[in-house]
Formats: sequence, C-alpha cells, structure tokens
Amino acid sequence: MRPKALLPAVLLALTAARVSAQTIEDSVMMRKNSLCTAVLYSHDRWESYWEGPLKRVNGNIGKITTQSVAGMVDYGVTDRLNVIASLPYVWTEASQGVLHGVSGWQDLTVAAKFNLLETDFTRSGSLRTIVAVSAGTPIGDYTPDYYPLSLGSASNRLSGRLTLSFRAKRGWYLDGTSAYTWRDNVTLDRASYYTNDQLFFSDQVAMPDVFDYTVRAGYRRPGLDIPISFSQQITRGGGDIRRQDAPFVSNRMNYQKVDALVTYDLPMMKNLSVRAAGSYVVRGRNVGQATTVTAGLLYTFHFGS
Amino acid sequence: MRGLRRSSCATVITVVLALAGSGCNQDIPTFGDLSPNTPASGDAGAANWRMIVLSGPADFPVPAPAPATSDAYRAELATIKAAQGAITDAQRASIEYWSGGGVLRWNEIMRELVAKADLPPAPRNGTYPAPDPENPFADPNFPFGNPPYAARAYSYVSLAQYEALKVAWFYKYQYNRPSPSKVDSGVQALMPTTDLPAYPSEDAVLSGVSAELLKILFPTSTEEITRRAAEQREAALLSGKAAASDIAAGLALGKAIAPVFAARAAADGFRTAGGSPAATQALSNATAAKGEVPWHSLETPPRPPMLPAFGQVRAWMMTPTDIVRERPGPPPSTSSAQMQQELAEVKNAVDNISRAQLAIVYKWADGVSTPTPPGHWNAIASEYVAGAHFSEVRAARAFALLNMAMHDAAVGCWDVKFTYFNPRPSQLDPNIRTAIGLPNFPAYTSGHSTFSAAAAAVLSYLFPSGASAFAAMKEEAAISRLYGAIHYRSDIEVGKDHGQRIGGYTVSFARQDGAN
Repeated sequence: MRPKALLPAVLLALTAARVSAQTIEDSVMMRKNSLCTAVLYSHDRWESYWEGPLKRVNGNIGKITTQSVAGMVDYGVTDRLNVIASLPYVWTEASQGVLHGVSGWQDLTVAAKFNLLETDFTRSGSLRTIVAVSAGTPIGDYTPDYYPLSLGSASNRLSGRLTLSFRAKRGWYLDGTSAYTWRDNVTLDRASYYTNDQLFFSDQVAMPDVFDYTVRAGYRRPGLDIPISFSQQITRGGGDIRRQDAPFVSNRMNYQKVDALVTYDLPMMKNLSVRAAGSYVVRGRNVGQATTVTAGLLYTFHFGS
Repeated sequence: MRGLRRSSCATVITVVLALAGSGCNQDIPTFGDLSPNTPASGDAGAANWRMIVLSGPADFPVPAPAPATSDAYRAELATIKAAQGAITDAQRASIEYWSGGGVLRWNEIMRELVAKADLPPAPRNGTYPAPDPENPFADPNFPFGNPPYAARAYSYVSLAQYEALKVAWFYKYQYNRPSPSKVDSGVQALMPTTDLPAYPSEDAVLSGVSAELLKILFPTSTEEITRRAAEQREAALLSGKAAASDIAAGLALGKAIAPVFAARAAADGFRTAGGSPAATQALSNATAAKGEVPWHSLETPPRPPMLPAFGQVRAWMMTPTDIVRERPGPPPSTSSAQMQQELAEVKNAVDNISRAQLAIVYKWADGVSTPTPPGHWNAIASEYVAGAHFSEVRAARAFALLNMAMHDAAVGCWDVKFTYFNPRPSQLDPNIRTAIGLPNFPAYTSGHSTFSAAAAAVLSYLFPSGASAFAAMKEEAAISRLYGAIHYRSDIEVGKDHGQRIGGYTVSFARQDGAN
C-alpha cells in the first residue's frame, strides 16, 4: 500500500484509527483485522419545530424526546476496506398532551467504506478519498405513520457517499463528506393519505431522495480526536407540514446543524475510548430544532498480526 | 497504481450517477382505480323514484332540444369530429378518468377536498380563531372539515346529485335524443355506449350541481372544483357521449337545482353549531350539578369543543323529535364502579397493544388531514358501487342514502355528546396515553361507532352480499377507538346500537323509494 518510508506515519494512523472509527461519514479507516465495537447513548430533544417555514411550539406535544442506544461494529477487512453495521433501540415521548410514547428496534444499517485514494499532494499534508455505500432497513415492525413520535421512517434505503479528507501536519484536518440517499416506498396501515396538496389512494408512500453534506474541521493526535462540523440535509421533494397538521413521513425534512465531538482514549484502559458529542439544529423545515447529546464507549479488538 | 485507483474511482462515480439518473420515481395513484363503467341497467324509470328535497321535474323545466336533423345540431356534431381529430393525450386520459363514473369521481374529489380542509385552527394568543366563511383563505382556512362538517357536506352534494339526476332522467326519456356517436357514425365513441338518451347530459348535470355546492362548502378549493367540472364536460363532449347542446342543458339544470340545496344548507342550523363559550360553560355546570365529572378540553391551550350545537342541525330522515327519541340513556356515572372498570380496560388495552391492534387503530384513525370517518365509509362504498356497475342515477342514490344516514348519525351522535358531556379516558386518568390524536369533544358516544353502524346498515341494504363484510368493518372501526384509548367500551357499544337505529330510518325510506 503505502511506501515503507511512511511507516512512522502509518503507526501513528493506526493508533489514531482506534478512535472515531465507526461512522460511515468520517475519514478514519480501521486497519486490517481490527474490530471496533461501540455502544452509544443518544438523547435528542426539541420543543420548537418548523411547520413548513413557520417556526413554532405546540402545547399538545411540549418537548419531544428521542433516546437511543445504538450498537455499532466496524471491521477492517483490509486496510482500505471497512465494513460497518449499526442498530439502535429507540424510545420516544412527548412531555405534554396525551400521545403515547413508543419504543423499539429501529433500522439496521450496513455499510462498506473504501479508501480509494491517498495522495500526498503537498508537503504540508495529504488528501484521502473515501467512498462508501450503505443500506438501511427497518428491523422493528413499527409504523412510520406516527410522526413526530415514530421510531423512524421505516424505509429501505441506499446511500452513496464520497468523503475527502485533507490531513495537515501536526494533527489538523479538514473533511468534506456528502451523500445521496435513495429511499424505497414506505407502507402505511391505511388505504389513503393526504400530503403535498393531494389525496393519495394507496397505502404506499413515495419517499423523496435525500442529499446531505458535512464540513468538518478537527484536531487529531494519538488518543484524542476533536472535530467540529456543520451539516446540511436537503430532502429532494415532499410536502410541507400544513398549518396545525401533524408531520408526515414523506415531508420535505431539511436542516442545518452544528456538531462538536470529542473522542478520547482512556490512558489506563488499553483499546478503550470514550466519546461525547453534541449537536444543535440551527435552521430547519419540517423538523424539530433538536439539541442532541451523545455519549458512548468504544472498544477495539486487534485480531491476527 | 495511481492510474488504477483513478479508474476504480471513476467506476464508483459512474455507478452512483447511474443510480441517481434512474431516479426511482414511484407512481402513487391520486385517484381510484376505476375501469370504464358500462351500467348493468339504464334505470329508465328513475324519474319516478321518490324525491327527497325537490318536488319534481316540473320545477326545473328543460326546453326541447333542436332536432337531430337541424343545422345547429349537425354543426355540433362537426365540432365533435374536429375535436376528436385533434385530441391530445391529456384529453384521452381525462376521458379514461371520467369513464369510471361521474358520481364515483366526484365522490373521490369530495374526499380530497375534505382531507384538505380537515385541519383544526391553530392557537393564537391563547385562543382559537374561528374559520370565517367570509374570509376563507385567512388563517385558519374555512372550513375546518371535521367529521360533522364532512358528514353534512357529503350528504348535501350526494343528495343534490341524486335529485338532479332523477330530474335529468325525466327529461332524457321525455326527449329521447341519442348520443352523438349513435346519431353519426363519424363520431367516435370513446366511452362505453349505452341507450341512455343524451339530452340533458348527465355529466354536465353532475358537473354543475356538484361544483356549485362544493364551491360553497369548500371555497378555498374553488379553482380546483371549477377545473374538474370543466374537465368532466369536456370529456363528455370529446368522447362522443354528448353534444354541446346536451351539455349546455345539463349544466343549466345542475346549476338551477344547486341553489335549492344551498338554501337548505344556509338554514339548517349549521351556522350556529359552533355554540358559544357561555353555552359550553352552562353545559359543564349542569353536568357537575348532576354529580358527574364534566368534559373539558385536554388541549393546550384549551380548545372549545367541536361544534357543540351540531345536534340541533337539521337531519335528513329524522325529525328533531326522532333525534331526541332515539337518544340513548346516560353513560355510566363517572363515579361508578363500572366506569372504573371501563377506564382500567382502556388503560390496559393501550399499554399492551399488539402491532396488529395498532394497525387497526391507524387504519381507522381517520383523524386530521383525512376524509374523516364518513369519508372512509364513502371509500368503502365506492368499491361496491363500482363493482355493481350502476347507472349514474343509481350510483348517486347509493351515496345519497349512505351520506344522509351518516349525516343523521352525526346529528344524533353530537346530540348525545352534548347532552351528557362525558369526559374522555385521559381526563379521568391522566396516565392514559392515546395511540392517536384525542378528539376535542365529549366521549359518549363514539362518533366512529355511530357513523360505522349507520353506514353498515345502509350498505348492507344496498349490497346484501357485503353485509358480513360491512359488519366486520363496523366492529373493527368501533373497537379501534378502545385500542387507541380515546373511547370506553360503553361509548362504542351504545354508539353502534344508536347508529344502527339511525341508519334504519334511511333504510326504511329506501325500501319504498321506487328504485327496487
């Protein structure tokens, strides 16, 4: 793969790979025969939401809280090819009103992440190009017809992702990542529904495609990774939530959010890292203005030589 | 090596672009799947079927048409031939659409209009502004197409269509003018042909009477309604079914009959069905004085109850005395052991709901942005009407009977709700969380149970072979309200019984209306 002259850098990367290496979006690759396992708890809450373009609160739901515990694995098939899987268990509840919260297994996501290209294109750093393909499918038999308390959209989906990562000397890096997601029809328990100015005579809902991108700047050294990022999701179709209507699964759900994340290797515990992250939706359409905090543990196994 | 990587990069990008280009654009239907209808019977005697609101055809004279040999009529035929020669794909699609049946299509359109209008007002400064018919586009839009409003709207339009078609049938068989495709072999028949005389055009009658009433009932949809009506008339002309004079006479007839129903609607008591805060407070006080827990809104901010005086709106087949006579007795006392037991049953049901039960709850939820429970039963009826290959006038009869019964069910049920003012389960036990939105009006009796029983009674009369299916649907719709924790078992059982009795009034009428 890489010229032997870069061995020190490879060793550094190997160490660094211990952290942060279980998301599809990031620019880190697991080395061959390494398995990163993670358990992440996430707490997401919003009170304000956008009803189409109109920002409002709603006394009949108060604050919507979504909690999840997700298990994730990321395995280095080779140094350049990682396989990732994740599955969250989700709880939702409303702080006001009478609606029942729900809980259950949400969607299994499986991804292949491939480090396509490593370019030392200047003296000051290198550029890494990663492509990823991921597929998601609902595991729990939940209905997508219960927004804003639905466990998820219950749609089968396929994403293609391209990630470019510029790694400067001394640990600074700048990532750009973007994905396009195709979503299959979802099935409701009813024979007709009204959305986007039309009554549809079917239990099938066509789900608009989704485009998203993230720009991330961070600092990474052995045992520590601190990125901050800005993300935007653009749903390519779908209707707005109408005045005083409930949200609907195929709504045009758009948002811009900022994230901060810290992953730190515990000095006393070999192969164990802790992670804490926070994100905040700054603008949106047909989504809640969510504040999300995430905390988790990552443990890496090294198999073979 | 680098070149190799570049080429694999290009491959991946190509695959991604190919997927993007394929853009799986799933087509979800926005109208029902109706094949072109060839009526099993022309119902030539429909002019003699009993009228309900109108006194008869004499009040709506239709002048004799020009003879088929006249220059004027020949010019009309030439116009059709020319138009057929230049027909567009969109026009062919429109003919295909309307050949499924005018009554059935207008029923679908009505359901869409109701779903569009079925949104409660949003709160403003702690209160809820009322929809204003004088300013329908303001926030909140007029109307709020809630279940009683929808039941009433479906009934007015369906009955007006039915009465107008009976009048049309009278003149059709008086003048006996064939359709253009039968008069002139140069005119293609692009819809199934029948022996039904073309003058006045039943499609134009339907377009006129439906559009005039729907524009009043759903004023924010005027543009859409007008467009659909014009498309229906164009399809009738282009298909070789009706000439311009057939259509003009039909449109004039439909427009002449609509005002009779508009006038009745303006004076049927709906205008004051919204009640007043003072009247609601008096009801609450009177309920408390009886030692019962009175209903109150569980919304934030508290919302006035939905149409508290709808029980005084004029019914179709029942007099105000009938409404009071059929009113069920009171619900279990809010302090009774039975109420405690029913409350526990609700909590247990929703907290331990199965996925199959949840599917039933959502199937019958019929909440905001839907055609409402009466609309759901119109959708059920549509399948049977389409399957029976009815003439337009018999299809109109089916929907008129169904919707009159459901309007009467709305009046009767709302009379019960605002007689007893009984609280919802979540009010008596705040630990009860619902699986669907909680309707903002008293619990006893269940509207869905009442609507469903009335609908099942009428549909079982019209389609005896479907009776067991209608009964099963009624039961499922009714019990869904208990699974979803918005109704007690008493609301459901008493509501079903009440609805069945209300439906019986319409069935009794139908047995003797001359259509059998």
